[in-house]
Amino acid sequence: MPIDPFTLEIIKNALITANEEMFQAWARTAKSPVIYEVLDFAVGIANSDGDLVAEAPGVPGFSGVLDFAVKEVIEKWGKDLKPGDVIVNNVPYKSGTHLNDVTLVAPVFYKDVLVGSTATKGHWSEVGGMAFGSWNPHSTEIYQEGIQLPNVKLYVEGKPNKDVIDIILTNSRLPDYTLGDMESQVASMRVAARRIISLIEKYSLDAVLTAMKRIIEEGEKYALLKLQELPKGVFEAEDYIDAAIAATEKPVYVKVKVSISDDSFIVDFTGSSRQVPSPINSPYPATVAGVKETFMAITDPHAYPNSGLFKVLKVIAPEGTIFHPIKPAPTSTFWEAMAFATELVWKALAPHVKNKLSAGHFLSIIATIVGGIDDRTGEPFAIVEPQPGGWGAKYDKDGTSGLVACGDGETYIASTEVYEKNFPILVERYMLNTEDGVGHGKYRGGFGVIREYRIMNSQALVTLQVGRHDYPPWGVDGGLPGPGNRVIIYEPDGKIREIRRLTAEVLKRGSLISIRTSGGGGWGDPLERDPRLVLEDYKNELISLDIARNIYGVVIDPNKMEIDWKATEELREKLKKSRRS
Amino acid sequence: MIRIGIDIGGAFTDLVAYDEETGEIIWVKVETTPKDLSEGVINSIIKSKIDLSKVSSIVHGQTLVINTIVTREGAKTGLITTKGHRDILILQRANRRDIYNFRYDKPEPFVPRYLTQEVRERIWGDGTVLQPLVEEDLLTALEKLLKEDVKSICISFINSYVNPVHELKAKEIVSSYLKEKRFEEVLLSVSHEITREWGEYERTNTCVLNAYVLPKWIKYIAKLDDVFRSKGFKGNFYIMLSNGGLSLTRYVVNYPILTVESGPIAGVIGGIAIAEIIGERNIIVLDGGSTTTKASLIENLLPRVTSEYYVGRDRYNPGYPIKVPVIEIAEIGNGGTSIAWIDELGRLRVGPKAAGAEPGPACYGKGGDKPTVTDAYVVNRLINPEYLLGGELKIYRDLAIKVIKPIADHFNVSVEEAAEGIIKIANDNAANVIRIISVQKGFDPRDFTLIAHGGSGPMFAPFIAEDLEIRKIVVPFVPPGVFSAWGMLLTDVRHDYILTRIVEVNNNNIELINKSFEEADKKILEMFEIEGFKISDIYLLHYADMRYKGQEHTVKVPIEVKELKDKDINKIIERFHEYHERHYAFRLPSSPVQIVNFHSVGVAKVKRPPVKETIVKGGLDEAVKESRKIFINGDYLDVFVYDKIKIPTEVTIEGPAVIEDPTSTILVLKGQKAFKDKYGNIIIIRR
Repeated sequence: MPIDPFTLEIIKNALITANEEMFQAWARTAKSPVIYEVLDFAVGIANSDGDLVAEAPGVPGFSGVLDFAVKEVIEKWGKDLKPGDVIVNNVPYKSGTHLNDVTLVAPVFYKDVLVGSTATKGHWSEVGGMAFGSWNPHSTEIYQEGIQLPNVKLYVEGKPNKDVIDIILTNSRLPDYTLGDMESQVASMRVAARRIISLIEKYSLDAVLTAMKRIIEEGEKYALLKLQELPKGVFEAEDYIDAAIAATEKPVYVKVKVSISDDSFIVDFTGSSRQVPSPINSPYPATVAGVKETFMAITDPHAYPNSGLFKVLKVIAPEGTIFHPIKPAPTSTFWEAMAFATELVWKALAPHVKNKLSAGHFLSIIATIVGGIDDRTGEPFAIVEPQPGGWGAKYDKDGTSGLVACGDGETYIASTEVYEKNFPILVERYMLNTEDGVGHGKYRGGFGVIREYRIMNSQALVTLQVGRHDYPPWGVDGGLPGPGNRVIIYEPDGKIREIRRLTAEVLKRGSLISIRTSGGGGWGDPLERDPRLVLEDYKNELISLDIARNIYGVVIDPNKMEIDWKATEELREKLKKSRRS
Repeated sequence: MIRIGIDIGGAFTDLVAYDEETGEIIWVKVETTPKDLSEGVINSIIKSKIDLSKVSSIVHGQTLVINTIVTREGAKTGLITTKGHRDILILQRANRRDIYNFRYDKPEPFVPRYLTQEVRERIWGDGTVLQPLVEEDLLTALEKLLKEDVKSICISFINSYVNPVHELKAKEIVSSYLKEKRFEEVLLSVSHEITREWGEYERTNTCVLNAYVLPKWIKYIAKLDDVFRSKGFKGNFYIMLSNGGLSLTRYVVNYPILTVESGPIAGVIGGIAIAEIIGERNIIVLDGGSTTTKASLIENLLPRVTSEYYVGRDRYNPGYPIKVPVIEIAEIGNGGTSIAWIDELGRLRVGPKAAGAEPGPACYGKGGDKPTVTDAYVVNRLINPEYLLGGELKIYRDLAIKVIKPIADHFNVSVEEAAEGIIKIANDNAANVIRIISVQKGFDPRDFTLIAHGGSGPMFAPFIAEDLEIRKIVVPFVPPGVFSAWGMLLTDVRHDYILTRIVEVNNNNIELINKSFEEADKKILEMFEIEGFKISDIYLLHYADMRYKGQEHTVKVPIEVKELKDKDINKIIERFHEYHERHYAFRLPSSPVQIVNFHSVGVAKVKRPPVKETIVKGGLDEAVKESRKIFINGDYLDVFVYDKIKIPTEVTIEGPAVIEDPTSTILVLKGQKAFKDKYGNIIIIRR
């Protein structure tokens, strides 16, 4: 019986809902905060070819990494996949990100027919390696980053594969959490599988397969439709990653060439530097996921992501480069280079797709760990978090202040009160970073933050990695760059140092870690900024009288809180002239 | 004496009155007056012709508070906060909810940076004072704000939830300054008085919004009170709170933020009352409105009251957090007047845009030219194709056909098939809101009875029941338009107090646990005291938000024993394990368990109008209005249409059938049967 278009619509929605339910089930039942608080995971439903018909990334950095994983499983196991099997993988180079992100794929059968599979990927708190929590900024080979699980069966026909599980747990510093995360991950996949089977029972196998096929076709059709709205041609951008986090002598050159036509969107990173001896390398799937973020941003940020939507997209990154590292390159802080994949495409297109993009942002996640043993209780504590910063200006308004970086999304920065209750630290300041400032422009960037932790314990261990310092957030169309990110440590003996990379560094009581994230880049000439906006910024104590005068050419009477229009006009003329000469 | 419930809605203000002597219930409807909401309230009383001197109590649910926030028409407000934390309202939680939007904007704070002033003072997370409050800073801050002509001030300091000593001192200094310098019109809100939960952004924002609405709120309450008194009213004036309870104006006049969500809440309370009457304990209350569908899950007759409420939050916008107790309700943009449309890829969609009351569905003939869900029901004659509201509203089926025709042409199907497509998708949307509150939270919808009210609730419910395999649907005897106002007459006076204090649950801490609940209880009793209640009329309930040590998420667990003893500790821990497992599917038997929040509830019961039994005698055939050809499941079918009022009690109607009364239409599908119970509720059972 042919299926009517309305019922088909309902089945398609039901598949997406099934995926959403898998997402909620895992978020609800996971044992690690990194899953249920940070949402550092993604789930998807694939068809029998491994194309994703539904996917739900908790963070945008996980967009579309799952299809690599499913396809690799199909390639390796093929006909040997049996109902009840669950395959586990975390090796980054062909289908992953870093070893903490563990992917599970489970085929879904209806009677003897392979309907598709469910797939999940999420950050496990511990997978072994040289440092607690596994990821760290100082590894030089993947072997230091934890245990590798190369697409082996975690469950065989519905039964746990005890041998594999024993190996995993033996290699973990937190076996309870590891086991808990794994079990909830498997259980959530069963939720979606059950729903797919009940859809088949209600509407027929044929109807569900048709709906899956239709979703992919419509995704592709929609992407083509959205390509029509984009400018056609070749767009290029380049940038540098700071040497300090890449462990190289010179800064790491990266570049992109984006070619947009009526039916294709080709992103070519050829010419970017070789892989580096620090863990910032972005595995190819992560690079593609990074590009997908910008692709979503410029086509339709609210489009439903599936493999069809990304069919027009092709990402070229030669093997052995920072965007496509090969064994044994370390990748445990891959997000630093991955963010450049996202932002290079963004930078190439920002002047041309103004209504969807902003100027450059602070970019570096500045992943921070502060941990140790709490003197008061004798128990371990650990803060693990990204930092918020400034986003770039838009062509028609100012950038947004204090926001998580592009690879993070619905990620909440913890409350000062929650930290101070749980941990022996004092958050001395958490405010806009008006001291280092922003990228000025006709519209200015958003402000970064100053976040300061005072150690209130005999000691604490600190791990940190600070990118985008030497090469700060870029402006557009005459807008100025932001100031760059920096972190300063003040020790009680009076020692002050600026740091770029730390792994488990011991800091004594009274030390202050001052994290100062960058403001975003500006858009347009600061001399064209509406003087009333300059006055407002001054009134709000975001900029000084000097900046108003010297950068914006606006003369303000601070007592009356008014603009001196005539003096402003003259000053702006003068500044323009002196700039020309 | 008479009791009155008045509920302001988007289009209408409803009044329900219950005469305690005769048991008679009457209702009137007047138009809502958005410019000055009190006008509509007064109009409803005039229209009802009720003598206010015979009224013992007026219960009021309003939209002034939420409207003032949404339209940003509150007072110029200033914020005084801790040094180093000035940008609390700008930073928020730094999340990017619209994750692929690279032009993302955060919600605009209600207080700009220049009206936020810092003072030196610091209390640490354990409550110790690291830096005493510097009075000089406070006065400088205050003078700056007064110079800027603020009308309302919020004081919120870091860690005041654990030790409010600096907020209290600041309050004292500011109040006496305002009094001395004759700034009597400037009002003050202090964060720890509104919520004692941790999370400085959420608490500060809650307090700021209270301050923002406060001047308008005080005037509104005073005006209504004056008008009521001038009409001879001598009774109690209650306001509906978001926690599902009432409060006397005497208390709530200082805390408008406690009433931020009130209309839909009364509908949930009405649903619970119906459940009690018919002996159900686990229900899902479905409110099908004209532009949205709302649903709330009730377990064991207890609504889920949490303080995780946001104004203006949706899939892409974080909204503004408000940390006050609110009954959990989920909502989606799918209702009776939702518009059906074809998207860029040629797919049929329904909502979230809606035709609303103006111009309304095409079939109303008031100029609506977009196909709505109601039009689809009219085309297929599932609702009366000639008139609604007992004849007051003429229906033009030909107009409905005309607007649905393009959809039919697009899919190359008949108009009836296209209409059925719209109905299917609208019902699927409505079913999804129930999935969100049940399946996604670990509940099985099959364990619940669906109570369907609102204009479109009874039309959606039978389809949803099929989809989610819900066995029983109840359509209440109270007309949908006044269900919320009726719910208010059944509401008790209730106050909640939530105190964040992290305590490990073990025998050494019994004293601290008891003391914490005592502290919360004391606050509750103070609120009732302000309202003038006798302590002996209050009964107290305790809940604890509990978690495994080291985890972030908590589970709300009822604590039945007032004064805990040694033997109770294990029981509480065991109950927590149970609740945690149901919610999160696992337990950690060896992990220490902590209480994070002490949640006390105080209730003073009101006298409820008893529900009269009304037995209708006679044969079912006498209730048949007509035989109608409807279109359902791809085919035409002749079904009986019953007059709801004439249906005899406890007589089975086999589906498919249509049941009508002037204000609503109830569908009974094939495989379902319906009957009227002794109160006049229509019960539909799936087989």
